[in-house]
Amino acid sequence: MQLLLEQVVNGCAIGALYGLFAIGFGLVFATLGILNAAHGTYASFAAIAGYYAVVYLGLPFVPAMVLGVITGAVLAVIVDQIAFQPLRKRGAGMLGALITSIAFWMILDSLAGLATEQQSLSFPAGTYPTWIIMAGSVPLPAMQVIAIVSLVVVTVAIHWLITRSRLGAAMRAVGWNETAAQLGGVNPRLVILATASLAGATSGLAGVLGGISTNNVSFTLGEGMLLKGFAAVVVGGYDDVRGAAVAGVGLGVAEVLSAQYISTSMRDAITYALLLSFLVLRPRGLFGRTSFMRA
Amino acid sequence: MSMLLDWWAAYESTLAFAIVNAFFALSTYAVMATGILSFATVAFAAVGGFLGVQLLAQLGLPLWIVLPGSAVGGCAAALLVSVVFLRLESHWLALASLALILITRILVLNAPALTGGVNGLSVPVEAPFWLLLVLLASVSVGFWRLSVSWYGIAARAVREDPAVAGSLGIAPKTIQLIGFAISGAMGGLGGVLLAMTLQFVSPETYYIPVAFTMIAAVVLGGSYHWTGAIIGALVFTALPQIMQAVVPQVQNVANGLALLLIMIMLPRGLIDPRAWRIRRALRDARR
Repeated sequence: MQLLLEQVVNGCAIGALYGLFAIGFGLVFATLGILNAAHGTYASFAAIAGYYAVVYLGLPFVPAMVLGVITGAVLAVIVDQIAFQPLRKRGAGMLGALITSIAFWMILDSLAGLATEQQSLSFPAGTYPTWIIMAGSVPLPAMQVIAIVSLVVVTVAIHWLITRSRLGAAMRAVGWNETAAQLGGVNPRLVILATASLAGATSGLAGVLGGISTNNVSFTLGEGMLLKGFAAVVVGGYDDVRGAAVAGVGLGVAEVLSAQYISTSMRDAITYALLLSFLVLRPRGLFGRTSFMRA
Repeated sequence: MSMLLDWWAAYESTLAFAIVNAFFALSTYAVMATGILSFATVAFAAVGGFLGVQLLAQLGLPLWIVLPGSAVGGCAAALLVSVVFLRLESHWLALASLALILITRILVLNAPALTGGVNGLSVPVEAPFWLLLVLLASVSVGFWRLSVSWYGIAARAVREDPAVAGSLGIAPKTIQLIGFAISGAMGGLGGVLLAMTLQFVSPETYYIPVAFTMIAAVVLGGSYHWTGAIIGALVFTALPQIMQAVVPQVQNVANGLALLLIMIMLPRGLIDPRAWRIRRALRDARR
């Protein structure tokens, strides 16, 4: 029982990172209609920026994390403006943007490899909080608590932003039809910039936290996140941030428990079996609603 | 003459890979021509590849049985997959096909008796270069005939607007199902040819990088004409070779930049029938 509870907490913490990443990835997919292969590199670069801030600038944990998040946001805006904006102007659709995002993925991945000298770095001990809360008999380490709290805060905030605020309404409008949104008085350029930076920031947060808790600051961090975040988006549905968050946590827990109780080699198999069954049984995700097609 | 031979010795393998990639690109093009973005070609290639390698290595069958066998295997896999996939909307289908690649890799890893598991399998037979050329030529003739057939025209209509195509008496799902079947056959054939060119297959042979390569090749070459897929595969295979020779340290950065520039300059790809038509119309108008 003790072990089970501890593993569930571990799973939630890992899943929180997947969920955070998936929120950013899904936001871009739902609002901008881009399947962004470069999204994982935002997480890698955020982690690398956080690492450099801690090791070379001697910044404490919170400013370093903020710097990582800002790095993710800035990178997302740069990629969007260079790779996607020219295609948007020509109305090239999802396909062209996918290819330019692959191009940026190649560029940024190999730059991240150069920045870490092809090694996997880890944050030095003592540069991040290590306190432990005891919940009954179950210990809750600091980084896990921070990851889970971040996911809850970010999910609630972004869900509120999208469903209740004017900016959120504008984002949904642009996601539905950019021209119609423009006729309705929305400035799509601003909405696109806001969406890209928000998505980059959440993925950057996932990157910094993931880099610390998995002791892996390198380009492989983003790649792993991209695959798991992608799975979470498919299971949770890309048009609802709550779905991505819940699915991320669910995948994390399923992964940790199956590694503990079934076998380590089956860990990924269970993730993707879940993915497949959701695609077949509930293709629009956890919170997905049916939509109608133009006849 | 000797210079020509040297050149050939240096670039024969690059050209062989370009031809293999052309099969993958044609497979991706076959579904894209019906308006579907799908990465599933990699999964069909894995089916064709491992099936073909088993037929070659275990049963020792000759090539003229193995190659069609792999194509049929890929085609069967494609039909099976498309039953589920065609129920999904376009965005979901793209996501699902990516998921299919991830799942395929897990299946390959967990069935070592058939696939060699993590260690992979070595392939006893190498594909002769002339065979690759002959196959590509015959497949090209097939694609050319298809593109001017009733099916080709119907596919174009479905790609532009499935609802309008439906109202013209074309069944979009049937056209897309045929697209998937062609894609599966091409993917299966490409899969076994890749295995025979590499002379080694492992779970990593049929994974995400191949998927991105083939999509990039099709879009780069031009996704509105079948020759675009072949040109794109050639460019996309040659580009890394050139970049490695010119700027070895930052090879991938240079690759990415080149891809980015071409896509921003020519979003419809290198081969663009619409641009030809516009140019011809302008010339006629000036006359």
